[in-house]
Amino acid sequence: MRFTGLSLALLVLAGVACASGSMENSDSIAAAPQSVQSAPQLTDANIAAIVVAANAIDIENGELALERSRTSDIRQFAQTMITDHSGVNRAAVDLVTKLKVTPVDNSTSTGLVASANATRASLAQRSGADFDRAYIANEVDYHRAVLSAIDDALIPGARNGELRALLVSVRPAIAAHLQHAESLKQQVAN
Amino acid sequence: MRTPRTPYAVACGVAMLLLGAAVVMGARRAPARSHVVRISGFQFVPPRISAAVGDTVIWSNEDIVPHTATAVTGAWDSGTIAAKGRWTLVVRAAGRVHYQCALHPSMKATVEAE
Repeated sequence: MRFTGLSLALLVLAGVACASGSMENSDSIAAAPQSVQSAPQLTDANIAAIVVAANAIDIENGELALERSRTSDIRQFAQTMITDHSGVNRAAVDLVTKLKVTPVDNSTSTGLVASANATRASLAQRSGADFDRAYIANEVDYHRAVLSAIDDALIPGARNGELRALLVSVRPAIAAHLQHAESLKQQVAN
Repeated sequence: MRTPRTPYAVACGVAMLLLGAAVVMGARRAPARSHVVRISGFQFVPPRISAAVGDTVIWSNEDIVPHTATAVTGAWDSGTIAAKGRWTLVVRAAGRVHYQCALHPSMKATVEAE
């Protein structure tokens, strides 16, 4: 099957919450990716729903990490994810309110949420160092996939200039989170 | 008995007074300056600033998330700078200080003070 850049990015984005594909065996969490292979053309309302869903997922993952991890660096990272993704969602909601756009769920946003729920259920079964490794491995995969989706699908797909500008302004946050998560992944592996 | 002043002696006295004033004024520091570091797009802009002891550095957070400006040595720490917030530091010591955002360790920059 041949993927276009858009559908591949959406497929990647849809798979991030379950993050089962690229995770090492020992840290793998069982949920299967829900592919969104035949994603229709996204509207700005669809993009808004994807942005809100993607941020909400990482906020909930962070809340789970605060419940289950006792490692200070992991807890600090989780708190930063909650703070930053809450900030991004506030900006997104403020913008769509101003633009009078109501986020419209679509196969990508609902697929993201379903996969994320499965991921969280798997993470919730873990504890101690096992949880830390699985949580941070998922954060690496999640941010890497979101970065790809922003570059390949969301920014090119946004029609409204302010929505596109918001996505552009969010990109460095995701890149910084990814770098931080990769560093922690290496740290907890040692 | 007082020695009468000659024009030459008066001129020497004035010259010495002027010289003394110049020495005193030269010893004074240049006026303190303000420097602004923008925090934008998860970067400190500019990434390196040069300041003098007594100068003020203002970090202005233009991002939509909080950041910090935290000296790696522990010499100073802004604590959380809220989105759209600012933090001011008065430079107290000469030297090069590397700092980063404690929340986002990939954000690094330097203050050079002389």
